[in-house]
Amino acid sequence: MLSKSQARAFFLGGTFLFSAIFVFLTVDTLRQNESRTNAQNMTADVLKGKEIWEKNNCMGCHTLLGEGAYYAPDLTKVVERRGATWIDVFLDDPQAMFPGERKMIIYGFNKEEKGQIIAFLDWVGKIDANGWPPKPNIPIDSIATPQVPQAKSNAVVMAQPEKFSQLCVACHAVGGKGGNVGPALDHVGSKFDSDYLNRWLSDPQAIKPGTNMPKLPLTDPERKDIVTYLSALK
Amino acid sequence: MRFQSQKVAYWFFATCMLLLSLQIVYGFIMGFARIGFDGLHDFIPFNTARATHTNLLVVWLLTGFMGAAYYIIPEESDRELYSVKLAYIQLLSWVVVGVVAIIGFHFNWWEGRKFLEIPRPLDYLVVVNVLTFLFNIAMTIWQAKKRSTTQLVLFFGLLCAALLYLPGMIYFDNQTLDSYFRWWVVHLWVEGVWELIMGGILAFLLIKLTGVDREVIEKWLYVVVGLTFLSGILGTGHHYYWIGTPKYWLMVGGIFSALEPLAFLGMAIWALNMYRKKGKNHPNKIALYWTLGSAMMSFIGAGFLGFAHTWPAVNQWTHGTLITAMHGHLAFWGAYAMLVLAVISYAMPNLTGRKLFTGMSGYLAFWASNIGMLGMTGALAVAGITQVYLERKLGMDFLVVQKEIIFHFIGMLLAATLFTVGITYFIVDFIRHGLPSDEAVGKNAGDLE
Repeated sequence: MLSKSQARAFFLGGTFLFSAIFVFLTVDTLRQNESRTNAQNMTADVLKGKEIWEKNNCMGCHTLLGEGAYYAPDLTKVVERRGATWIDVFLDDPQAMFPGERKMIIYGFNKEEKGQIIAFLDWVGKIDANGWPPKPNIPIDSIATPQVPQAKSNAVVMAQPEKFSQLCVACHAVGGKGGNVGPALDHVGSKFDSDYLNRWLSDPQAIKPGTNMPKLPLTDPERKDIVTYLSALK
Repeated sequence: MRFQSQKVAYWFFATCMLLLSLQIVYGFIMGFARIGFDGLHDFIPFNTARATHTNLLVVWLLTGFMGAAYYIIPEESDRELYSVKLAYIQLLSWVVVGVVAIIGFHFNWWEGRKFLEIPRPLDYLVVVNVLTFLFNIAMTIWQAKKRSTTQLVLFFGLLCAALLYLPGMIYFDNQTLDSYFRWWVVHLWVEGVWELIMGGILAFLLIKLTGVDREVIEKWLYVVVGLTFLSGILGTGHHYYWIGTPKYWLMVGGIFSALEPLAFLGMAIWALNMYRKKGKNHPNKIALYWTLGSAMMSFIGAGFLGFAHTWPAVNQWTHGTLITAMHGHLAFWGAYAMLVLAVISYAMPNLTGRKLFTGMSGYLAFWASNIGMLGMTGALAVAGITQVYLERKLGMDFLVVQKEIIFHFIGMLLAATLFTVGITYFIVDFIRHGLPSDEAVGKNAGDLE
């Protein structure tokens, strides 16, 4: 049977051996870090963004690289998923973008700070994280019975304007693709004329006070493109 | 209690009770926010509640460890504490730092690194404080008439815990490195040196409560903490799968995480075997419940539930979901919270001379809090598995999935209520014991030695 001094030797020897291996692997990890994290792309904006991220304890709700608090979405690939424009609009008033949902603090970042946060998140999204997060691997159609064949939509006839795919799809769906916060827009063109759509997009509150639709920062040509697109959805 | 100076421990335990109550309050704030009742959003947003909840946990457990050390070390060293005055100063400053940190969280003053949110200036004060504590303990051991393995393992654990706090204070502008070294603190604490502290405290309690020969218990203590370090050090790798570190961590972390339950299994088998070999029945059954309960629950919570999601092929889906919260709750409860409650249950009758362990309320505290915690873990498990399937495997939107699992959080809140009832019983008993009394010095209520 094991004696006490053998047990002590097991403890001390094991601790020493595995600590040594751990230190060795740490040195190697540090050596590879530059290339795996694209350290050359860490601009001043990225570093500033990280400071803002930490100063406001964003990890207290969100996760980044899967680390955080599980109360709000993981932001590792958020720039790839939503696009910089959307995040920029979202940060001004997060609650307006997801009305009645989980609340995020309105921090009131200025244009520059928002750019820094986006730069940081963009850099994080490009870290070689061994393929994480993985792509969903159960096709949703395989378990849900398809609904009644969808009413024919003009969605495919016309390409979506750039701003539409950056901003609107976060809440609205067209042809079954997009968010479900706001109503689907498949037939919006037959419900409203282009003049109404134009006024609606310019200032939703003026048309329907109390609406959850936020006023989006669109230039005149951008708004015109979207109105043309929506009018075609019949 | 044998020595006058052990009375210091009482004040540490009292602080524990206070901070634990506060931690539960913040837990409820988060639970309600998750089912849509976030009326406190403007004053205590989720990230504040979360930082407060987890930091209170760390602070009250450390307070408990310190109290345990102040109780155990004099007894193991067979002499008074080196300086009682220093111990009180240390407690007072510890509480001040903790309170300032928590108030700071409510004013956006923090570091924003999960579990290590305490702002940097306060970090330095923590270091000074812990060094003071270690100095006091070290001097007591240094001048002791006898050395015991239990005493040394406990001291070594506390020392390493202090040293490992330092990597968390280095600033890295690279997110990957920031995360890499943050885990040196967080993982190597809870799955490394804290287990050493746990082993030391457990050994002390087993010696006192079972009457088994010290040599036998201490031999197995070495084996158990040996297994802990053997698996736990490289087990840190399970935090390094997806943060931008090399691929070999998947293999290293996977293999050594799979070994981690062994250490906890060893702990449970050790405790149960020592209990079976007991020479006499110790009257403080409640302390025995918490002691053996801790050994077993830590195997389920930290060992088994940890094992359930650290294998890389599983972890790629569960990483960053409520599965982690599920594991975290039972792991901390079983391994550390129950152990601190065990020390308190054992020490209180000795400190005050009042043998409240004969009553019913101690058992109620034990069963209600344990069933409550198992219920919370179960609710989080179902919510977490649902989240993994809907959000990760099917690709549904985060917020849509969160709505689907509201029901399980209602279940969690109900279980948390039962848990709170148990803790309330425990605290009421604690208060009923009254203050430590001089008449209790030199006597140990029902000890075998």
